[in-house]
Amino acid sequence: MIRMNKLSKVYRTHMIETHALRGIEIDVQPGEFVAVTGPSGSGKTTFLNIAGLLEEHTGGDYFLDGVNVTGLNDNQRSRLRNEKLGFIFQGFNLIPDLNLFDNVDVPLRYRGFNAAERRRRIEEALAQVGLSARIKHYPSELSGGQQQRVAIARALAGSPKVLLADEPTGNLDTQMARGVMELLEEINARGTTILMVTHDPELAARAARNVHIVDGLVTDFVRREAPSLVAVA
Amino acid sequence: MEVRPILSTLFRNKTAPLLIAAQVALTLAIVANSLYIIRERLASAARPTGLDEPNIGWINLSPVGEVADPKTMQEVDLNTLRAIPGVRSATWANMIPLSQSGWNSGGMSLKEGDNDSGINSAHYFSPGSLVDTFGLNLIAGRDFTADDVFDHDPEQGSALPKTVIISKALAEALLPNEADLGQLVGQQLFNATEAPVTIIGIVDRLQTPWSNEGADGEQSYILPIRYLVGSFQYAIRTEPGQLDRVMKEAADQLSTLRSDRVLNSQRTFAEIRASRYANETLMAGLLIAVTLFLLLITASGIVGLSSLWVNQRRKQIGVRRALGARRIDVIRYFLVENMLITSGGVLLGLLLTLALNQVLVRQMEVPRLPAEYVGFGMVIMWLLGVASVLGPALRAARVPPAVATRTV
Amino acid sequence: MFFYYLKLGAVNLKRNPIITALMVITLAVGVAAAMTTLTILRGMSGDPIPHKSDRLFYVQIDTGPVGRENPNGEPDAQMSYTDTMNLWRAAKAPRQTPLMGTSDTVSPERKDLQPFITTGLAVGADFFSMFDVPLLEGRFWSAEQDKAGSDVVVITRQMRDRLFGEGQSAVGKRLMLSQRELTIIGVLDTWSPLPKFYRLVGSNRYGSHEDYFLPIEYAVRVESGIEGQVSCTSRPDPGFQGFLQSDCTWLQYWVELAEAGDRQGFADYLVAYVNEQKKLDRLPRTVNNRLRDVNEWMVQQGVVDNDTVVATWLAFAFLAVCLVNTVGLLLAKFSARPGEIGVRRALGASRAEIFSQFLTEAGVVGLVGAALGILLTLAALAYVRQYARDIALLTEMDWLMLLTTVLISLVAALGAGLLPTWRACQVLPAAQLKSQ
Repeated sequence: MIRMNKLSKVYRTHMIETHALRGIEIDVQPGEFVAVTGPSGSGKTTFLNIAGLLEEHTGGDYFLDGVNVTGLNDNQRSRLRNEKLGFIFQGFNLIPDLNLFDNVDVPLRYRGFNAAERRRRIEEALAQVGLSARIKHYPSELSGGQQQRVAIARALAGSPKVLLADEPTGNLDTQMARGVMELLEEINARGTTILMVTHDPELAARAARNVHIVDGLVTDFVRREAPSLVAVA
Repeated sequence: MEVRPILSTLFRNKTAPLLIAAQVALTLAIVANSLYIIRERLASAARPTGLDEPNIGWINLSPVGEVADPKTMQEVDLNTLRAIPGVRSATWANMIPLSQSGWNSGGMSLKEGDNDSGINSAHYFSPGSLVDTFGLNLIAGRDFTADDVFDHDPEQGSALPKTVIISKALAEALLPNEADLGQLVGQQLFNATEAPVTIIGIVDRLQTPWSNEGADGEQSYILPIRYLVGSFQYAIRTEPGQLDRVMKEAADQLSTLRSDRVLNSQRTFAEIRASRYANETLMAGLLIAVTLFLLLITASGIVGLSSLWVNQRRKQIGVRRALGARRIDVIRYFLVENMLITSGGVLLGLLLTLALNQVLVRQMEVPRLPAEYVGFGMVIMWLLGVASVLGPALRAARVPPAVATRTV
Repeated sequence: MFFYYLKLGAVNLKRNPIITALMVITLAVGVAAAMTTLTILRGMSGDPIPHKSDRLFYVQIDTGPVGRENPNGEPDAQMSYTDTMNLWRAAKAPRQTPLMGTSDTVSPERKDLQPFITTGLAVGADFFSMFDVPLLEGRFWSAEQDKAGSDVVVITRQMRDRLFGEGQSAVGKRLMLSQRELTIIGVLDTWSPLPKFYRLVGSNRYGSHEDYFLPIEYAVRVESGIEGQVSCTSRPDPGFQGFLQSDCTWLQYWVELAEAGDRQGFADYLVAYVNEQKKLDRLPRTVNNRLRDVNEWMVQQGVVDNDTVVATWLAFAFLAVCLVNTVGLLLAKFSARPGEIGVRRALGASRAEIFSQFLTEAGVVGLVGAALGILLTLAALAYVRQYARDIALLTEMDWLMLLTTVLISLVAALGAGLLPTWRACQVLPAAQLKSQ
């Protein structure tokens, strides 16, 4: 689903070159739940941005769902983001002036679905995260956990192949974080590939696969059996 | 289009959109009304006099003391003028259009004893041919001949002229709703002088010295009178392109002819026109300046507020980009948003425009604003809105999608 | 504390230079447009002689035959020679004067000066005291000289400088007017009321002033050339005498009463006069007199033209747009700094203090806008002066106008600052310090 060959990212400012990523090799299979960990400044966010087509890489190749994205123009990348990817941000990033319906609607509009199709998907996505009753509410009227659920609904509504989550529980207390995490696991169980950046080892431990980035390099990846939900609870 | 979500966003952040809409509304009201007044003024100042304007000059001398023999002096002057190369025609005249001072008569009528017809007319007279010298277009009848001309000495009270040439506007006032004005030729006109005079010709157009708006600005007649007073005012018509040189020579020669006179003024008709319409031109100029400044200020206001808006919503723009918005989608978002605000302002402005016009109509007798000026103003505001928001929108489109994952 | 805010305001002006410049320019242009038209309007409609404008009256008597009355019911704007002189010689008011425009060729004694044409005013001796005409040197003519129509003349300072050189005395010298010799007995100090309220008919109201003044009896005696409006309903008999005896109206007539309350008494006298004349087979129309004070006469004559009123309306609408624009831009400027407000609030600034700080800043914008606005107003008035000679002398901005300018822009800026400042004060200290 996500395959990177010798992928690198160099930031150039005037005279200085900063190597944020140095030859990443990774292959994520469909349906995997991958946690990306690493210390601050290791390149986690850069890795996620590139995986999410928010930034361009400077070397190597990146295949997203079989498509080589190297050299695609801005419009093509936007299109790919819209169709194949769903984002969940640490700060939720809901649009405060839109109600839940309109927030979930945002990516669907760019997709070009007709009104009926959009309505069906929005209602379905909000139902999935348990917020159907709040469809006319505004983000400021919700708790942090609920806001993140809306963000997840927004990410899911377009039926993406891959869900990219950037510290999805970073702004939440433990109780809410657990709820969000369970929701992600449920989604993954239904077949969506999830790539989650986190610095929380406990969360990472719940992913089936961990990728560790240090100093721009993938230094470690571990496979293990997914722990049962019961065991954690 | 995504009109509904944009509207809901606007309703949750009312202040800035309201300010822009209010500004658009006020600007529209002023621009539409100004444009109309500007056009009115310029149109008024552009009305033709009926004269061969580019080739006409007007020269004026005043005697220092009593004048013994004005008739001879006028003849000598005219012979001098006619001898100047490039002069096509020259004659004495009691006044000239647009000069804003002159003679006027009331109660023009085709019936004897009818003193209150309410028809006023400018009262031109000359011993020569104003048709020739002013370059008037005779549309019926004939011009005066030397036989028509009578000497008039106000100290004596002498014989009265028998013939008159009238302007088409006066003819139309005398014979309203009549297609064939030519039938007036041969008829008697009353109240131009004490005795009736026979209409012998009609000129297409001859504006009055006051050139009022409307038909009475062109109601004039010409009497064949040689006025025997010490007043020396001559109209000169030259061959094309000779006017400036001729005027200079005319002034020189008339000044040196005798020493008991003072050259009062020498003006080309273009100068007379500029002076007559100085206020109209000034008003139009001020209004144009105000309109341009206003558009500039409104544009700057929209640019300022839109830029602020873009800055405030950088994060949101990044999120939209991350969720799949193309650059064009971002630009379109801001354009549509601006169109909505501008349209709101334009609708409000429509009411304001009509209200302002109502005030102007009621208080200053300004004519009612025609619909096309309102429409033109609306189009201007829409274009202004789009043009002003384009810059900030393009800046918004350059916000990178990676902004979405930045924490601060 | 105020000076601290003032300093902050000045510093903050430099922070968003483009937005600040826009605000200042917007305010300046709006203020300048409003002030320019206001200056012109005020010059046109202001009371030209405030301390006695309610005691100076313009007299009108309806002259001419029955059946050709003015359709709007107004009597003639001017009066006939007969009526003017009858009223003047009767002298029923404390002061009164006829007014007759004249035009003459002046032949200077100096050989280096060419003869030139200029206009003058033939009046009664009371004219000068009635209209507060200032005297530079010499004297005005006496009541005896008035009645006798002596060959004396009072000239303006400008005319004296032109004929005899600047600062040279002219009293006692000769003046050749259309080859008639007069003695100069006085020189006026600068006197140029605009509009020329004493002579609203038959002369350019905003044009140049008359250069010389002579007794009206003299002007009539020498049959001086008339400059102004003459209206006749029938052709007068030939010659100047025929003209004087006709019902042509061409003279203006002013009276000054001791008190404004004497008006009714004088109006009654006018009615009695007209009825008297009817017995002599004159003034056949129904009695239709007018006695208007200075301001009423100016309104009746439409002294303020529509263009100026329209321009003033538009200028104030324009100012409104500029204010809305400034509100928007101030809002933009202030709301770009919620962080600063949060920090200040957290450091212990009360809402009132934040309010004072931001209002002071708005005030600084207003002051700078006012300064620029004054410069722009001066430039605009200079432009008007150049392109419309008619209203040239009107375009002097006085200190009161200046103060009004500064005040309007300050009030404008503070008003424009109120909303954004109120909004800025709503910011909760905590909300801004927390990372977003």
